[in-house]
Amino acid sequence: MSDISEKPAGELWGREGFREDLYITATSLDEAGDAPAVILPLAVWLGLEDDVRFATNRRIGVSVAPGENIEPLLGLLDRIPLIALEFPAFNDGRSYSKAEMLKNQRHFKGELRAVGDVLIDQVAYMLRTGFDTLKVSHAVTLERLADHNLHDVPVYYQPGRGSHTAPGTYSWRRVPVA
Amino acid sequence: MYRYDEFDHAFVSARVDQFKDQVERRLAGELTEDQFRPLRLMNGVYLQLHAYMLRVAIPYGTLSSRQMRKLAHIARHYDRGYGHFTTRQNLQYNWPALKDMPKVLDELASVEMHALQTSGNCIRNVTADHFAGAAADEVADPRPYAEILRQWSSMHPEFSYLPRKFKIAVTGAERDRAAIQVHDIGLHLKKNEAGDLGFAVYVGGGQGRTPMVAKKIRDFLPVEDLLTYTTAIMRVYNLNGRRDNKYKARIKILVHETGTEELTRQVETEWQVLKDSDLKLPQQDVDAIDSYFRAPNLPQRPEGWSGLAAARKADHAFATWVDQNVTPHKNPDYGVVTISLKPIGGIPGDATDAQMDLVADIAEKFSQDEIRVSHEQNLVLPHVAIADLRIVYDLLLTDGLATANAGLITDIIACPGLDYCALANARSIPVAQRISERFGQPDRQADIGELKIKISGCINACGHHHVGHIGILGVEKKGEELYQISLGGSGDEICTIGDITGRGFSSEEIVDAVETIVDRYLEIRTDKEETFLAAYRRVGAAPFKDALYSEAANAA
Ligand code: HEM
Ligand code: SF4
Repeated sequence: MSDISEKPAGELWGREGFREDLYITATSLDEAGDAPAVILPLAVWLGLEDDVRFATNRRIGVSVAPGENIEPLLGLLDRIPLIALEFPAFNDGRSYSKAEMLKNQRHFKGELRAVGDVLIDQVAYMLRTGFDTLKVSHAVTLERLADHNLHDVPVYYQPGRGSHTAPGTYSWRRVPVA
Repeated sequence: MYRYDEFDHAFVSARVDQFKDQVERRLAGELTEDQFRPLRLMNGVYLQLHAYMLRVAIPYGTLSSRQMRKLAHIARHYDRGYGHFTTRQNLQYNWPALKDMPKVLDELASVEMHALQTSGNCIRNVTADHFAGAAADEVADPRPYAEILRQWSSMHPEFSYLPRKFKIAVTGAERDRAAIQVHDIGLHLKKNEAGDLGFAVYVGGGQGRTPMVAKKIRDFLPVEDLLTYTTAIMRVYNLNGRRDNKYKARIKILVHETGTEELTRQVETEWQVLKDSDLKLPQQDVDAIDSYFRAPNLPQRPEGWSGLAAARKADHAFATWVDQNVTPHKNPDYGVVTISLKPIGGIPGDATDAQMDLVADIAEKFSQDEIRVSHEQNLVLPHVAIADLRIVYDLLLTDGLATANAGLITDIIACPGLDYCALANARSIPVAQRISERFGQPDRQADIGELKIKISGCINACGHHHVGHIGILGVEKKGEELYQISLGGSGDEICTIGDITGRGFSSEEIVDAVETIVDRYLEIRTDKEETFLAAYRRVGAAPFKDALYSEAANAA
C-alpha cells in the first residue's frame, strides 16, 4: 500500500517563482507522522488542542473548502502559519472572497495558498485577492508561469494586493507593482 | 458622455490582444471548443443555433454618433447588414465569422467600445434609465454612478466567478424606466430631506423561471458608500449563493431562502468592515465622472412651440407621432424623441446598417451627438429642440423609423426565440409580427392606449414576459409550440409579476387570444383614461379568463 500522507500533486508557485513546498497534506496528525509542516482539514484543525495546534516545533496549517466558514479562524489569525483555500473547480469563486477577507481586510500575515483547479486565467485574480502561493498541476498553467506569462492586464479598476494607486486618476484604480 | 482616458484604452486593448491570441489558438486547433468556451464568453461571443453571436456592451445605453456609425459599419462588413438591440441595452450581431471577431473587437475599441462582461457569471453591463440626463422628471442623472460601477466591476478579481450572472440597473427618477426591481441590484438615485444624493437599494429581483420583485434593503445609501455597500452585497452573494443548482443560483433565490431581514443583517455586518476602506468614494472623483455627463448647453429655441402647433394641425400623422414618441425634456424648448424599432409587422429591435447611419446623422445635427438604446428595444434622441421635431420626423420617415407607437400595443418586446436561440421552445418574432399587424392601424392602437406586450421563447424570460401587461411565453407540449399568457405584469415603480391565465394557445390561436383580451379591456374600462394595467388591477383576472376560455370553448 502506498503512503497516503504525501505531498499534493503539483508545483508550488509564488510571485517570485517556483519554490519548494515544505508542507504535506494529511487528514489527521497521526497520518502526518513527524512531518515538520502539515496542512489539515478545517474540522480536524479546529478539533486540536491549542498546545498541539500552535506547537512551536512544527507548523500546522489549515485547509478550507469553499463551503466552509472561515469565521472560527478570524480570532486566531496571528497564530496560524498557513491557510489553504480550495478551488475544487475553477468556476467556484468563493475562495476569492475569503482571500480578500483574510488578507486585504483582516491582514492575515501567514501564507495564504490556493489549491485545486488553478488555471492561468485565474492566477492574476488570485494574486490580487491576496494569495501568496498557488499549488499548480495544470500543464499549460505551469508552462505559462515558467515563462512569467500571467495573462494579466496592465491596469486594474479595483484596489488589491500587488498594486498601488494610480496618480492623477480615480480612487478605485490601481496599477500593478512593477 | 464618458470618454476613455489612457487607462481605459490600455485596459481594453490588452483584453482584445488576449482574445486575439485565444481565437488564433482555437482556429489553429490548439484549443478545443470546450476549452475555448469560457474564454469566448468573457468576450461576449456566444454560440447560437446557426452561428456565433457577438454581444456588444452599450454601457447604460448611451452612444455617440461616431459609435453608432461604427456599429453600422460592423453590421455592413462583418454581418448581414443589421444588428439587434436587446432588452439589456446591448447590441447583438447574429452572423459574424469567428475569424473576424478580433478585427471586430479592434473596430469597437477604436470607438471606445467592447463586448466584455456581456456574458458569464460576472457583473454584466450596467443599465440605466434611457431618458437619463434629459427627462423632465429626473432628480439627478444616474449614468455617472452606472459608469463608476462599470469601471469598478470590470474584471473584478473577487467577483468574476459568481454563482451566476449579475445585473445592476440604476434610475434617477421616481418613474422607473429601467425596471430596477427585476434586477439583481436595483439602485434608485434620490435626494434625502437635507438635499443630499443617495440611493434606495433593492436586491434580489429577477425574471427567468422564478420571477421575483426585488426587496428594498436600504432606503438611503449616501453616494460615497456606493462601492463599499455594493461590495458587501456581492460578497455575501458570492459566499452564500447556491452553486448546486444553476436554476437556483441567482441572488433572488438567496434573498428568498435567507429572508430579507437576515440577508440585510449579513450585508450590513460585512459593510462595517468595508465602509471606510479604499473604496469609499471621494466627492472629487464623483464630481470628475459626473462632469462627463454634464447636461449639454442647449440654446434657447422658444420659436419651436408656435411652429409645432401649425405643423401638428397640417399633418395628423406627425401630430400622432409627437404625442406618442416625444417625452418632456428638462428644458421646455426641447423634447426626448423615441425612435421606434417596431415598424408594423417588423422584427422588434432590429436595425439595418443604413438605419443606424441615419440615426447617427440625425443625432449629430439635432440631438447633441447623443443616442440612447432603451430596454424596450427602441432608440432615443435625448435632446431634440421642439423647433426641429418636424425635420427630424421627416428624416426618420425616409427609412421607416417614424412609427408612432412608443408604449402602445405594437411596441412589443420579443426575445430572439426559436429563430436564433438554442434554448427556445417556440418562436417569438413571428408572433410579435402578427400581433403588430393585427393592431397596427394607428387609430385603433391610439384608442387602446398604453399596453405593453412582452414575449419570451422560453422560461428564461429574455423577453421580460413576466412584467408585460400582457406577457406571452413559449412552452413546448408534446412536440407542439404553445403560448402561455400572463396578465397584469409591470416592470416600473409599482412592480408586479403577471398572473398566468390558464392553458396555452397554439400559434394559430395566440393572436386571436390577445385580441379577445384587448376587446374585453375595451368593454370594461371606465373611460379612455383607464389604461389596460389600471383596469386589470381594478377587476383582476376573472373577466379576462372568462373571455378567453369560454370563447375558446364556444369555438371548439
Ligand atoms: C443566444 C441567445 C440567448 C441565450 C442563450 C440567453 C440565455 C439566457 C438565460 C439562460 C437566462 C436565464 C438566466 C437566469 O434566470 O439565471 C436569460 C435571461 C435573460 N436574458 Fe437572455 N439569452 C439570450 C438572448 C438574450 C437577448 C437577445 C436578450 C435581450 C433582448 C436577453 C436578455 C435577457 C434578460 C433581460 C434576461 C432575464 C432577466 C434575468 O436574468 O432575470 N437575452 N437569458
Ligand atoms: S427567452 Fe429563451 S428563447 Fe428567448 S432568447 Fe432567452 S433563452 Fe432564448
